[in-house]
Amino acid sequence: MKFTRRQLAAAVSATVIAQAQTPQPAAAPADDLQAARDRLKANSDLLARQDVPASTEPAFRFQA
Amino acid sequence: MAAVIPNDVYFNTIAELTARLKAKEFKSEDLSRAFAERLVQLGPRYNALALPLPLDARRKGKAIDQDIKLDRWRSPLQGIPYGAKDLLSYKGHLTAWGAKPYAAQVFDYSATVIDKLDAAGAVLTGKLAMVELAGGGGYRFASASATGPGLNPWDTSRWSGGSSSGSAAAVAAGLVTFALGSETSGSIVTPASYCGVTALRPTYGLVSRHGAMALSWTLDKIGPLARSVEDCGRILQVIAGSDGKDPGSAGTSFYYTPQYARPLKELKVGYAAVDFTDRAEESARAAFQAALAAIRETGVTLVETKLPSFPYGPILSTILAAEQASSFEPLITSGRVDELADAAQIAGLKASLELPAKDYLKAIRLRRLIQEEFRKLFTQVDVLLAPGRSGPASKLDQPLDRGGFQPPSGTPVGLQGIVQAGNLAGLPALVLPCGFADNMPVALQVVGAPFSENLLLAIGREFQARTDWHKRRPPEIG
Repeated sequence: MKFTRRQLAAAVSATVIAQAQTPQPAAAPADDLQAARDRLKANSDLLARQDVPASTEPAFRFQA
Repeated sequence: MAAVIPNDVYFNTIAELTARLKAKEFKSEDLSRAFAERLVQLGPRYNALALPLPLDARRKGKAIDQDIKLDRWRSPLQGIPYGAKDLLSYKGHLTAWGAKPYAAQVFDYSATVIDKLDAAGAVLTGKLAMVELAGGGGYRFASASATGPGLNPWDTSRWSGGSSSGSAAAVAAGLVTFALGSETSGSIVTPASYCGVTALRPTYGLVSRHGAMALSWTLDKIGPLARSVEDCGRILQVIAGSDGKDPGSAGTSFYYTPQYARPLKELKVGYAAVDFTDRAEESARAAFQAALAAIRETGVTLVETKLPSFPYGPILSTILAAEQASSFEPLITSGRVDELADAAQIAGLKASLELPAKDYLKAIRLRRLIQEEFRKLFTQVDVLLAPGRSGPASKLDQPLDRGGFQPPSGTPVGLQGIVQAGNLAGLPALVLPCGFADNMPVALQVVGAPFSENLLLAIGREFQARTDWHKRRPPEIG
């Protein structure tokens, strides 16, 4: 499944607004680590939904 | 007795300083000493100084005077004082990468860019502060640096931006004539925009990263922050070029020749009007609108454009996390990562070790698609135009990982993600100060196809011929 730009923007905005509306106490290190893991997981889930043609090779030798 | 250096030199461009050196208005040694002393005196006011180098600067200035005596001019940068982001190694001196665990680190070689500038006769007066480890772990506060939060010379209650914090602040405050910064994702564009200085993020591979801290091998770039477009072009000409010591080197030189770029009236500039209205902070909209009008007056044709549809942020974050995990694995597994200043950054680095290989591979496969889509986009428009940031510099106590300004739900996306997209595709970007909001500078960014620096500089030069935002100085600076 591929997200539209609008869906992506809405998802990001919703997250940010939810965070902004929640009082932010100083996070404990364990909370920070969990939050960082959650971000990686969210990114991973999003990437998994991206269609990439099987013939697309990684840019191992990155050239602009 | 050392000559008195007039105060106005601190805000001279490279060409202006060169003219004064050629006219023998003062000696290079005196100029170097004056700049080095000013950096020591005023640098801490903005937490911009990582390492002063007054003796080296004076020694270099003296050598330059010998050259000048023989009327030997090695480059347009001869005798010009500059500062380097503390992520660049300088032989025999501390290179701390802005981070406490590396506070005693010394390399026995200099970064290629520093060697090139040395050969060109530029005078290194100090190393400049930065966000610790260039902030790849994701930091929450501006204080994420061993030297404290970067303070903005326009208002010290605001951030100077990151991660090239000291580079931008030092140029803005007239502590150096130019500075070197680096960008992985926004680390030149953001501080240049916030501090009101002109800057250039070069095409990936155009400038050697040998001797620079590796945050993300496939994303890192080194570029100049300076007083004008003209200065950026002169600096890039010196620092660009092939380097066998950098596996990412494109093997390409750069000659600053904007006069040979296509006439501006033939150019199509892609933009999204909403970026200059509803997606911009309200206080900045008037400045952005006026800047857009000034761009239009240069003769270019503005064309409404969209970026190819990709989740740029997550793709970039995944590549960055994977590469920094490999780069900083010894720091993380040793436990010394806990000595960093920012808790979110510590957590981000630790978590990055757990990133699955499949995610990294998916991200770099997606990047190939992004590059292809951008190739197509640049057959429709010549460059892309957007605000450097949506508004002025944030307040120091404002959390940086909360997303900042958000337009109302339903606002069209415009060119949102252009910084991440531009970095993923290795594209050059020119930052042009374009006005003020809340008495703080705001800027435009012009993004082009790979190796289109001369085209960007030609547009920027014309813009700066019609405006004087790049000449403005922060108040209360001597």
